[in-house]
Amino acid sequence: MEIKGADIVLQCLRAEGVDLVFGYPGGAIMPLYDALEGSGVRHILTRHEQGAIFAAEGYARVTGKAGVAIATSGPGATNLVTGIADAKMDSVPLVCITGQVRSALIGTDAFQETDVFGVTLSLTKWSRIVRSIDEIADVIAEGFYWARSGRPGPVVIDIPTDMLKAKKEFSGAVKFVPRARPEKAEKHAANGNGNAAGKPNRFDSIVAMLQKAQRPVALVGAGAKLSGAIPELRRLLDDLNVPSFATVHGLGAVPPQAPHYLGMVGMHGTRAANMALHETDLLLVFGARLDDRVTGDPSRFAPFAKIVHFEIDPAQLDRVRACEIPVVGDLAETIPAFHKAMRNAGSSLPDWNEWRDVACGAERAELDPRGLAQPTIRFLDELFSRLPQNSVVIADVGQHQMWAAQRYRSSSPRGFITSGGLGAMGFALPAAVGVQLAQPETCVLCVSGDGGFQMNIQELATVHRLGLPVKMVIVDNKYLGMVRQWQQLFYQRNYAETDLSDNPDFVEIAKAYKIPARRLNEDAMREFPVSQGTGDLIDGFLHSRGPELLVFDCAPEANVFPMVPAGASLSEMVFEEE
Amino acid sequence: MQAFYIRYRNTQGTLMRILNAVSRRALDLPSVHAEATEPDHQVTLQLEVTPKQVGQLFREWYAIADVTDVQTGAELHSAKVNVELAAPWNLPHPPASVAGNTEEGNVIRA
Repeated sequence: MEIKGADIVLQCLRAEGVDLVFGYPGGAIMPLYDALEGSGVRHILTRHEQGAIFAAEGYARVTGKAGVAIATSGPGATNLVTGIADAKMDSVPLVCITGQVRSALIGTDAFQETDVFGVTLSLTKWSRIVRSIDEIADVIAEGFYWARSGRPGPVVIDIPTDMLKAKKEFSGAVKFVPRARPEKAEKHAANGNGNAAGKPNRFDSIVAMLQKAQRPVALVGAGAKLSGAIPELRRLLDDLNVPSFATVHGLGAVPPQAPHYLGMVGMHGTRAANMALHETDLLLVFGARLDDRVTGDPSRFAPFAKIVHFEIDPAQLDRVRACEIPVVGDLAETIPAFHKAMRNAGSSLPDWNEWRDVACGAERAELDPRGLAQPTIRFLDELFSRLPQNSVVIADVGQHQMWAAQRYRSSSPRGFITSGGLGAMGFALPAAVGVQLAQPETCVLCVSGDGGFQMNIQELATVHRLGLPVKMVIVDNKYLGMVRQWQQLFYQRNYAETDLSDNPDFVEIAKAYKIPARRLNEDAMREFPVSQGTGDLIDGFLHSRGPELLVFDCAPEANVFPMVPAGASLSEMVFEEE
Repeated sequence: MQAFYIRYRNTQGTLMRILNAVSRRALDLPSVHAEATEPDHQVTLQLEVTPKQVGQLFREWYAIADVTDVQTGAELHSAKVNVELAAPWNLPHPPASVAGNTEEGNVIRA
């Protein structure tokens, strides 16, 4: 029997294991929406395409499955662009299906025509314009393959509306088998530089480097969790017994209570982590690309260290700083292989007691000499300490994001989610929608700033419509806080266009969306311990059955410290305003 | 100036992804020559690059799904632009009102 292209798309999605998609309808994609009912694919209507793609990202980030976002041509498709860029930066498996004007109109500047294929070319891992109904099944299968394989990433599949309407005999979804590449290309992809890497003799070299090292450390990024290699990583770190720390996306990969774990590294990392990274003579990197927020001034990054870089994507190597030994491959394979080589080496590793004492010493342990007195940090500590086990915290972008990253101590590899690479404000609320749909029983806490919350505030309607019990916090300092902080520290307090003191009343806005809301002033945090009333308010907020918003009014000029100023070395942290 | 020879399967967007790896680094593309060469396609680029960029470009090109081989050649002399070939393309576009079958239109489109 002949079926429409739209039905083929949906059958192929089901064959890929997709039962939940996020989107927003429009002209060119209407045939797909027309076919949704009875397809087995549940569609979540957001109130903006950016909300849809961030929700799909939230779903993908917390499950590890591919998220799916659907939009129409033209503005619908271009509204996906920020989410596509975000997924590329943070290695999120994502398949975007966009409607396109009908084939005969492509290239004519037709109504709502945009070259989304061209617009997203540099942001996607792979993309296609479907040119025939016969291609649909193959294109979808290949798209999902590339979204999930290797370093995951975003894929765009652009389907002209006439392809969705056309009919053909359909025998079922297909499975994509990647074409073999010449041996040289495979070798390059396997080791990143054409030389032997990821091979046993390479592991022997790393063991030899460890045996000579006096100040080794381990830096953990998102790669281990993306590879599902957390148990293997934790076992290796247990045996290595070296100081370790994590990037913002690596948080949760190492349990915060693990011995010699020093917390987050980088621009707002802990003093202990940054100092250890600055002083190390052997840096083992597990699945992190070492971007500028982690390295500080690249010319002064880990100046005494040799670097061993475990990474699945060769293109991530040597971007900022060359490594001595690349180990390219899936961390789920390379970490156990290296661990085995380390055990088989026979000779034991040096005793790094003295180094551990220095790196993990009490004098470096304090996050921020004044931090604990800061009401916002006190508030976040209270909030996080009252969260149920295995909660998921989704942070937006800005000061509250860094405070949350510093203070939330999750042992769950997917327990802290944020837009780390792109730093896209407005991410948290829609992402929380996706997370909550993926894990209906989990406590999902969305922490946002007053600026970012307003960027996708319309998704309160989605939260209400679905009755999702998302807990939303706005840390309201009535500024674009992080920009203001930089203006204060580096632009002589010229607070150009960062004042948001005329913010709307968020409590009233939430109520207009039929979502309960309450307000807490930072004065409530000046008592220690907090009063019974404040504690009850926070508990009531976290444990209410439905969605709820809590607006935390905080001082406008609170700053995030420690901070490594842009262009400075990690050892040049600032702890307070000069 | 260094020459790069990149073989690729000519699937949608692959050539553009190859070029994008260059343009995103704000490098000039003084010479690009793409052609069909059995069994794949090949594009030859001439670029002014640092050794670090060479490594980055190699890895980024190989990360593109349909790139099958990347090679670099010795330093080349500057590319000769074929002015005769390029000339017709440098003419302004004919206005929409100019019919293709008029003498004027044919001249402009020649």
